[in-house]
Amino acid sequence: MNAAERIEAASSFLLQSPPGEINDVLNDVRNIISDDDSLHEGVLPALKEYNLSQFMTVDVPGTTHQSIVSEAARVSATDAGQERFVDPRSKTSFLFDHLSLEASDSQPAEPDADSEPFRAALEKSTLTYLSAHFNDGVASIFASKEPTNQFIIQVVANKYNPANYWAGRWRSEYTIDLNENNIRGKVLVNVHYYEQGNVQLSTTHTISLSLPAAVVTSTPSASASKILALIEDEEGDGEKTFKGLRRALPLTRQKLDWDKVLGYKLGAELSSSKGMFGNS
Amino acid sequence: MADLVDSMLDLMRRLPPTRTEENVTALIGICPEYADDLLGSVDQPLKLRTDRATGKEYLACDYNRDGESYRSPWSNEYDPPLDDGTIPTPKLRKLEIAANEAFDTYREMYFEGGASSVYLWDLDDGGFAGVVLLKKTMTPTAPHEPSGSWDSIHVFETAERGRQAHYKLTSTVMLQLVTRKGSDGDAEDKGSGAGNGSGSKAGWKHEGEVSLSGSMTRQTEQDWPILDSSSHITNTGRMIEEMEIKMRNLLQEVYFGKTRDIVYDLRSVDDLEKARRQRELQKELVGFIKR
Repeated sequence: MNAAERIEAASSFLLQSPPGEINDVLNDVRNIISDDDSLHEGVLPALKEYNLSQFMTVDVPGTTHQSIVSEAARVSATDAGQERFVDPRSKTSFLFDHLSLEASDSQPAEPDADSEPFRAALEKSTLTYLSAHFNDGVASIFASKEPTNQFIIQVVANKYNPANYWAGRWRSEYTIDLNENNIRGKVLVNVHYYEQGNVQLSTTHTISLSLPAAVVTSTPSASASKILALIEDEEGDGEKTFKGLRRALPLTRQKLDWDKVLGYKLGAELSSSKGMFGNS
Repeated sequence: MADLVDSMLDLMRRLPPTRTEENVTALIGICPEYADDLLGSVDQPLKLRTDRATGKEYLACDYNRDGESYRSPWSNEYDPPLDDGTIPTPKLRKLEIAANEAFDTYREMYFEGGASSVYLWDLDDGGFAGVVLLKKTMTPTAPHEPSGSWDSIHVFETAERGRQAHYKLTSTVMLQLVTRKGSDGDAEDKGSGAGNGSGSKAGWKHEGEVSLSGSMTRQTEQDWPILDSSSHITNTGRMIEEMEIKMRNLLQEVYFGKTRDIVYDLRSVDDLEKARRQRELQKELVGFIKR
């Protein structure tokens, strides 16, 4: 593998990181590639892509809340070529370091006067919804510049519990389009459980709805509970699939009599030899 | 460099189990000199192959591999054929044949389908070791039907001590479940505000996929009496059966209990604000009573 391919492989590993484990993955990758100089430069695009797609949260300087760093939060690059992100709630923009995950150089960011009232209303009801359903949730609400009349609600909640070998992340995004009068949403849930193993849950759920006037404020909550209904539903279905793979016990409801299994060939019909399996 | 292998194994413990094969290939590309360490330590989904001589299906893994060829437990032949492929001694092969028959019965009783294979090999210290493999796959016949696969790998070592044998068993189960859900047309059928309580409020269209995948490994060491060499089959049989029952329960707990708890922990269905107010009220009441 040449240097470029190694960087490509390292980037792919980073993008697959489970919630809250990007630093562990980076440490492993660093050790495996053992060429810090080229690695550092090479994986920066992957780190940026990971942060934006995973709705990384950041403490915005000068505020007491957290904000989401995502594609929707990105404002066009400045003259100096530096990329800035906006926190509409505090009306500030800032620089973001994709490695240290810190914000700096915050500046006032004037919102668009036409869209701000509706955006602020959305923000208010989203924050109510957030405190009703999330213990550690962060939400950002953006008014898109192009096209206008389009708003994006993003919610992220993380729980990392490395002491008990699990981590989870909830991401949801709703695009409210007042030109088309619809809402398009997606919910992504990832869970990693790794006590003596590696079990991962990954759900993707996309939803859409034509917009009745009253729905705007109540929808995130209604739809989100629908997502959980899906998970709950999946549970029923999932357990059925599970049973189809391996029975808890044989049809006889008893464990095998291993002394009788010996020398017995499956070719001999099972049905005619039920007596073999642990008849008391 | 042991800690390089440690880093690779730590990485594999974190990356999605659904992409194990792809990631192992990439790691081998980066460090070809550690290919054997990696292939020997990372469990990968078992490959289903067909014995050319008997037409029976068998399972391929690192334990029945010699170069690019895999040995079938049914015919004892390598595919592609090898003249000097490693095979068990005649005595051990006899036991291997009997073990394959026994676990084929076990497979039918618990899995009602799928495939099984047992491979045995001699150890330098006089004992022997073996691996019992079981695999079952469910493929959906319709777009919204669930799919899944179960792979178990039971590796054991045994040493005879007089009329007793000591067994060390390491079991790994890989389980994958995918459920797809979709609904549209709710909007056309009911319109909004029909309120017939069917659960599809306001005519949302939705499309979803839930994937649960992973692997778990557990170990046990036990002593069992032996009468003759076939006792090894009944002994390992009981141990593996017990282990699979234990792991099936554990997987059920983790897949359907633990992950759900974490999701509910991330986002609560109940109104947390209401619960907080209730707690406040309770505190006040307790304050009154104390006064």
